[in-house]
Amino acid sequence: MEFDPALFVELFTRTFQFWWVIVPAIFLGLVVGAIPGFSAANTIIILLPLTLAMEPEIGLVFMVALYASSRMGAGIPAILVNIPGTAGAAATPLDGYPMTKQGRGQQALAISFVSSVFGGLLTTVLTLLAMPWLSQVAFYLHSVEMIVVMLFGISLIASIAARDTLKGLIAGFFGLMLGYIGADVVYETPRGTFGFLELYDRVPLIPALVGLFAVSEAFAVIEGESILSKRGREAMQKAGWAETFEGVRLALSKWWHIIWTSIIGLVIGVVPGAGAAIAAFVAYQQSRTYSKTPELYGTGHVEGLVAPESANNGVTSGTLVPLLVIGIPGGATAAIMLVVLQYHGVTMGPDLFMDNPELAYGPFAAMAVTYFLMIFTIAPLARYMSRITVVSTTYMSPIIISFTLVGAFVPRQYMFDMYLALAFGVIGYVARKTGYHTAAILIGVILGPLLETYFLRALKISEGDIMVIFSSNLGNILWVGLALSLLLPYLFQLRRAKQEAA
Amino acid sequence: MTDENETDKPEKKSVGGELILPAAAFLFTLYYFYTILDVPRIAQVSAFFVGTILIVLVTILGVRIAKQVKAGEADLRLGRILEPKSYIPKRLALLGLTVGFIFFVDWLGFTLTVFAFLTLAMLLLSEGRRKVLILCLSTVLAFGGYLLFIVAFKTRFPQGPFEKLMEGLI
Repeated sequence: MEFDPALFVELFTRTFQFWWVIVPAIFLGLVVGAIPGFSAANTIIILLPLTLAMEPEIGLVFMVALYASSRMGAGIPAILVNIPGTAGAAATPLDGYPMTKQGRGQQALAISFVSSVFGGLLTTVLTLLAMPWLSQVAFYLHSVEMIVVMLFGISLIASIAARDTLKGLIAGFFGLMLGYIGADVVYETPRGTFGFLELYDRVPLIPALVGLFAVSEAFAVIEGESILSKRGREAMQKAGWAETFEGVRLALSKWWHIIWTSIIGLVIGVVPGAGAAIAAFVAYQQSRTYSKTPELYGTGHVEGLVAPESANNGVTSGTLVPLLVIGIPGGATAAIMLVVLQYHGVTMGPDLFMDNPELAYGPFAAMAVTYFLMIFTIAPLARYMSRITVVSTTYMSPIIISFTLVGAFVPRQYMFDMYLALAFGVIGYVARKTGYHTAAILIGVILGPLLETYFLRALKISEGDIMVIFSSNLGNILWVGLALSLLLPYLFQLRRAKQEAA
Repeated sequence: MTDENETDKPEKKSVGGELILPAAAFLFTLYYFYTILDVPRIAQVSAFFVGTILIVLVTILGVRIAKQVKAGEADLRLGRILEPKSYIPKRLALLGLTVGFIFFVDWLGFTLTVFAFLTLAMLLLSEGRRKVLILCLSTVLAFGGYLLFIVAFKTRFPQGPFEKLMEGLI
């Protein structure tokens, strides 16, 4: 796995020759990323016959391009209509949607595109250079550490997503409990399923996402003529190309922010199962912590949009690291890539880098070229995409409800999943109206099964001793960090209140 | 004089709605605990760990709200959930249409159900205005959705008479 500049130059030149595969994959990825229920993983599965018929290298380029662009596509509805296309974009609306409401949707899209492209491009190049070291990250995090990481994730989201941390924590832990629904992996006992067989396989994520974000939003926005404020509508009607250029300028002026938040995404992406959602929230929280203007976060602040978009695109290359280095896919799309490559007789692991370096480094070259081509193909579309926000809610709400509910049906093809999406819609609606953030519930639902698996693993190793969760040095450091992250804001608030009283 | 006193009084915050989600979470957690009573201890630990934290958090919130109510700063009305009240009938009707959409899509298939839902829901929200535009829009969206998702992407959407007829024709 040594650095060979000549090999990389050759790889990039070669990958550029596959532009005819990459460009259609970019547009396809944008569409499937933007529609909840149509993940890149599902699309690759649908197109599996096509991918398997291609040469392994071309098939891989196609899958990687689709994967990278779908990540960017998921941010589009998150910004414009407050509906993330995938869970990885759940932090994007925190500042993206308020920008849209102010009539700055076009600017927000341009910021999102630039942050995604540069964040993705940078981390892809970094991954290529730092592959041997990055591959070690996953080895340090065992089940005990992962338990703390998961709880850390929930507490971060609780403190970020809700104005009231207590309410945020309740939403997050409620989500975790909902994520625990289903038959347990070891003993097959159904838990919390209300007798529904369809829930034995856990709460499916797409209906939860569709319900919490899309359905609840559609029911909430009917109060207004459009999702934009009056001033927002006026601003949007006046918007021209200058808005796109202003968005690009604003994003580029935060170049340092793009760099460090995308690196957070890369490091988290290397950990199998951690995923883009956690990375985006961690990056958002870190961005707010170190910001000179933390009070502006959540009101349509540029840095609040740059951070999650750079981070979730940083994850994209990170998830490929454990796949290529140790043969463990970091996510669903990476798992499908593994299947396709194994079909072609390619064996993952360290040997791949000696025996077939073009194929080992190829995905990163493909990703870099995809991000590069996306600058020219996607950024000009921001102006036209943002027009969707001026559509009246009279038309928008029914369209959102019908198309996203059918999207909830697609992954498992159970009618039950549409009812489940509606139930989550009701939960989401109540949450929105009473100050419990829907993103915290969703992240809980995502992390619940993972947390339980890590708990079971840790307890099995320790023969049922709960104190195992405090048995690792790294884990204990993380516990202290978790406690501090919950207590410090409260203590600072108390001190400020005392100072003001004095 | 009375009026003046009323306007001077700080408005009470309605916090009843804020208790709905924690109450649901609390009840669900108790139900979940009930369903795991018979499983081996090792499989109970994580649920008891998370569930207990959740119950503690809900209790803290309950105490906080009780203090606010006792101090006269808040009351237990539902507040924002029902506001604006003029939209309650529309919202309930839209919910009814959505349940109908899910119920009928199994038989009528994607295209016809989407068309019917879009037409009815848009007419409801526009209070019967712009009928022609709504009909055209519903037709274009339902048929466009059919072409994009079922014909082009080969997505396995619910199939009904329209999809079967088109399959026969194509």
